Amino acid sequence: MKIITVLKQVPDAEARIRAGSGGVELDGVTFVIDGMDEYGVEEAIRLREAGHDVEIVALALGPARYEEAIRTALALGADRAVHVETDVELDPIAQARVLAEVVRQEGADLVFVGGKQADWDSAALGPALAEVLGWPHSDWTTELKLAGGALEVRHDTDDGQESLTLPLPAVVTTQQGLNEPRYPTLPNIMKAKRKELAKRSLDELGGAQPLTRVVAQEIQTRERRGRIIEGDAASAAAELVRLLRDEAKVL
Amino acid sequence: MIGFELSDEQKQFQALARTFAKETIIPVAAHHDREESYPEEVVRQAHEVGLLNVSVPEAVGGLGLSMLDEAIIAEELGYGCMGIYTILMASELGIMPLLLAATPEQQARFLAPLLEGPKLAAFALSEPNNGSDAGGLRTRAVFDGDEIVISGTKTWISNGGIADFTVVFATYEPELKHRGTVAVVVEHDRPGLSCNKLHGKLGQRASPTYEMVFDDVRVPIGNMLGEKGDGFKIAMRTLDKTRIPVAAGAVGVLRRALDESRAYALEREAFGQPIARFQAIQFKLADMKIALETARWQTWHAAWLADSGRPHAEAAAIAKAYASDAAFAAAQEAINVFGGYGYMNEYPVEKLMRDVKLNQIYEGTNEIQRVVIARHVLQ
Amino acid sequence: MILIVTAAVNGSLPKSALELVTVARELAGGAPVAAAVVGPEAAAAQLAGYVPQVRSLQAPELEPLRAEALTTAAQQVAAELGANTVVMSANRLGQSVAPRLAVRLGAALLEDVIAVSTDGGLRAKRYSYLARVTETVEVAGGGATVVTVKPNVFPLPEAQPGGSVAPFAPTFGAQDTRVTVGERSAAAGGRVKLEEAKAVVAGGRGLGSAEAFDQLVEPLADALGAGIAATRAVVDAGWRPYAEQVGQTGKSVAPDLYLALGISGAVQHLSGMNRSKVIVAVNKDADAPIFKIVDYGIVGDVAQVAPAIAAALEESQGS
Repeated sequence: MKIITVLKQVPDAEARIRAGSGGVELDGVTFVIDGMDEYGVEEAIRLREAGHDVEIVALALGPARYEEAIRTALALGADRAVHVETDVELDPIAQARVLAEVVRQEGADLVFVGGKQADWDSAALGPALAEVLGWPHSDWTTELKLAGGALEVRHDTDDGQESLTLPLPAVVTTQQGLNEPRYPTLPNIMKAKRKELAKRSLDELGGAQPLTRVVAQEIQTRERRGRIIEGDAASAAAELVRLLRDEAKVL
Repeated sequence: MIGFELSDEQKQFQALARTFAKETIIPVAAHHDREESYPEEVVRQAHEVGLLNVSVPEAVGGLGLSMLDEAIIAEELGYGCMGIYTILMASELGIMPLLLAATPEQQARFLAPLLEGPKLAAFALSEPNNGSDAGGLRTRAVFDGDEIVISGTKTWISNGGIADFTVVFATYEPELKHRGTVAVVVEHDRPGLSCNKLHGKLGQRASPTYEMVFDDVRVPIGNMLGEKGDGFKIAMRTLDKTRIPVAAGAVGVLRRALDESRAYALEREAFGQPIARFQAIQFKLADMKIALETARWQTWHAAWLADSGRPHAEAAAIAKAYASDAAFAAAQEAINVFGGYGYMNEYPVEKLMRDVKLNQIYEGTNEIQRVVIARHVLQ
Repeated sequence: MILIVTAAVNGSLPKSALELVTVARELAGGAPVAAAVVGPEAAAAQLAGYVPQVRSLQAPELEPLRAEALTTAAQQVAAELGANTVVMSANRLGQSVAPRLAVRLGAALLEDVIAVSTDGGLRAKRYSYLARVTETVEVAGGGATVVTVKPNVFPLPEAQPGGSVAPFAPTFGAQDTRVTVGERSAAAGGRVKLEEAKAVVAGGRGLGSAEAFDQLVEPLADALGAGIAATRAVVDAGWRPYAEQVGQTGKSVAPDLYLALGISGAVQHLSGMNRSKVIVAVNKDADAPIFKIVDYGIVGDVAQVAPAIAAALEESQGS
C-alpha cells in the first residue's frame, strides 16, 4: 500500500517569535519539521516494520525552505518525496484541494496529516483533505492498527476517547501520544540525499485560490505580575490566597 | 566567491546533534561530572544514531564525514557537555592516524569493527615526562622478527582503558629523535597491556582518562602505520587536523556560556530591573558574541582548508588556541554574570569553565599552538 | 441568514452553544439567525429561547455523532434555510466537521475565532503560532463562510424568547456511516466542565504519581469549585483521562484563575492556557519556564504547598 505523510515546516517551538508592521517576522528563525508531522512519518515506518508492504511518500506544499523538512522526513524513513513548491500563502481549505490532487495522482491508500499545525494553530487540513478526496478520517489519533482493508484507531473526542473502524482509503490526523518518533540517524540523513524529491508546481495541479487572507498579526501579550511569593508553605499559601482575593480579585 | 551556507545535509547533522545534546547529553551531564563516571548509555545511543566514529571512511562501511561536518557536530555536542564529547572526539583522534597512513587492508582490519557497536579508539602520545615534545619519546618499540615489542608508559590517554585499540607512538631508535619513531596499532586484548583510570581531574570528568602501561606488548609488524620513522610525522599530521574538533567543541562551550548568561541576565533582577539592562552585563554578552562568531568562523575555515586538501596547520592552531582561550574567558565571565550562583555546581556555568580549561591544554597546549603559528609567521 | 450548528451534550445544550448565538448575532447585523441542534428536542427548545428558527435534528445516523454525517446534515439545513454563513463551536467535533462543510459548500473557513467583525467584509481574530500571535483573517471572496468559535471567549447572549422549533430529517448516504464507532470512554463526570470552568487546577509530571495527582489536585479543585486539567505527559502516563488534557493537542482554556501544580511549562502546554486571566504556579524548580508567565508563583514542594493553599482557602472562606 502507499502511504502519504503530509509535512509542514514551522518555526521551532522554542524560537522567539517577533512581529513587525508586516506581521510575524520569520527572518533568522530556525525552522523544523512540524513535530505533529513526525508522528505520521513514524507511524508509517512502524506499519512497515510491522510487516506491511508500504511505500512512504512525504508530501509538502510550501516555499523552497520546506526542502529541509522534507529531507528530515526522508532521513526518518520516507522512501521519496513530492514538494509542491510555491510562495503563495494558501489557507488550509485551499491547500487541501492542491494536496488532494497529488494524493489522487499517487493513488495513495492512507494519508497522515499533523493534528494541529504549529504555525496556523489549525486543525483543518486533515478533515478538509479527507472531504476533497471523499474519504473518511480520524482526527486526534492516538492508536492505529491496520486490520484487513480497514484501520482500527483510537482518538480523542471532546469528552474522552473512542475507537473507530475506518475503511481505506482514509486520512488520519496525528498527535502526541500516537508514538515516539525516532531520531533521523546520521547514516539515514546521508542516504536521504540519494532519495527522490520530485518538485511540482501549483499550476500543474490546477492552481489554487486562497479563500481567506491574513491581514494583521501581532504578538499576544498579557502583562503578568510575575510575583514570586516567599516564605514557608503555610505562610506563602496564606499570602497567595490573600492576593488572589484582594489584589487579583478572582476568588 | 565564497559561500557561508551549510548544505541541507549539514543542517540536518546539526539538528540531530543538537537534539541529541539536549535530550541525551544535557540531562545526565552534571551527574557524570559529579560522579566522575563514564556515560556508557550516552555512548551507546551516540553509536545508535551514528554520531560515533563518523570519520571512518565509506570504503570500509563508515560515513566518511568531512572535517567541517565533524566541526558542526562537535559544536553541538560540546554545547551539551565537553567532557562527554571528548569521549567521541578522542575516538576520532584514534582513527585519524589510520586515515592518514594505514593501508586499505589495515583500515578494513581496524576501522570496520569499530562500526559494529559502541566501540572506541584511542591515541597515545603523551608520556609522564613528555607532553608536547613528541621528539623525546621514551616508550620503546623493538623490532623482533615479525613482531614489534612495545614497552613503556603513556599517560593522560582519553578512552585508554575502554578503547578497542590505541595508536601508540614509540621510538625504536631514541638517538634519531623524532625520525626514530613509529606509530603502531595496539589492540587491547594483547597480553602485557594494563590501563589505570586517572582520578581527580578539574573538569571533563565524564571523559575517562588513563595511564597505559606497556609491558613487552607484542603486536604483528602489520600493525605499524606507514614506514619505520614515520611515527612523529603521523602524530603531527593527525593533530593538525584533530585540533579542529577541539576548537569546535570549545565553540560549543562558548555558545552555552552565552546562552546561559543571556537567560539568567534577562531573568535575574537587581535594583528593580533585569540585570540585562545594565551595560556592565551587556558588554559581557556582547564580548561573548564577538568571540563566538569569530571562533566559529575560524574553526570552520580551518576545517574547510583541511577538507579541500590545502595547508591547514596554522589555521587549525589559530582556531584551537583562539576558540579555547575565548571559551574559557566566556565561561569565566558567565560565572560573573551569575554572581554567587555561578560559583555553585547546581548552575551549569562553573562546569563550563572547568571543562573548557582542558581544551586549552590537550592536543598541544595553547603555548605550543602559538609556537606553530609563530613559525608560520616567521617562515 | 446565519446558521448555528451545534449538538446537545448528555441531552442538554452546552454553554458553548449559547456563545455561538452571540457570534451569530454579531455576524448577522440584523439579518435572521437560525440554528440546527442535534439531540433531543428539549435542547432545540432551549436554543429557541435565543434564536427565532431552530431545526431539531434526530436520526439514527447521528447517534453516535460522526463527522461525515453531521457535515451532511448541516449542509442540508443550510441549503433549506439558504444560509451562507455557518457557525460552529471550535471543539473537537466542530474542528472535524467545519473543514468538511467548508469544502462541501465551497466556503471559506474562519477557524477558532476569538472576535469577529463585519465592517468592510467579514473579519475575525484568532490565535496562531502556538497561541503566541493574534492574527486578523479576512474572507477573500465574500462568499459562503464557515466559522468555528473558540469556547469560553464570547459572552452569553440575551434571551429572545419565542423562537420556533421544527424537526428536520436529513437524508444520509452510505459514506456518512462508513466509519463505525466502537468503545467510548468518557471523562469522569460530576465536576465542572473544563472549558466552562471559572477556575482550573492543573497538574503536571512534577506531582510524581497518579496517586499524588489525585491527593493534591482534587481537594484544591473542590475548594475552588474548579475544573481539573493535566499536561500531555500526565495523560500519556495514564494518570488522568485524555479529556483533561490542556495544551496544543488538548483543550484550550482561559479561566479567571489557572493554578498550575508541578508543571514546568513547555510551550505546547502554555499555548492551551496562556490566555487565563490570572496564572499561579507552584513548582520546586525556580527556573521552570512556567514562572515566566505567572501572576503569582511559589517555589516549593507541591506536596506541602498544595494542601497549605487548600487550608488557606478554607480559612479564608470561613472568615
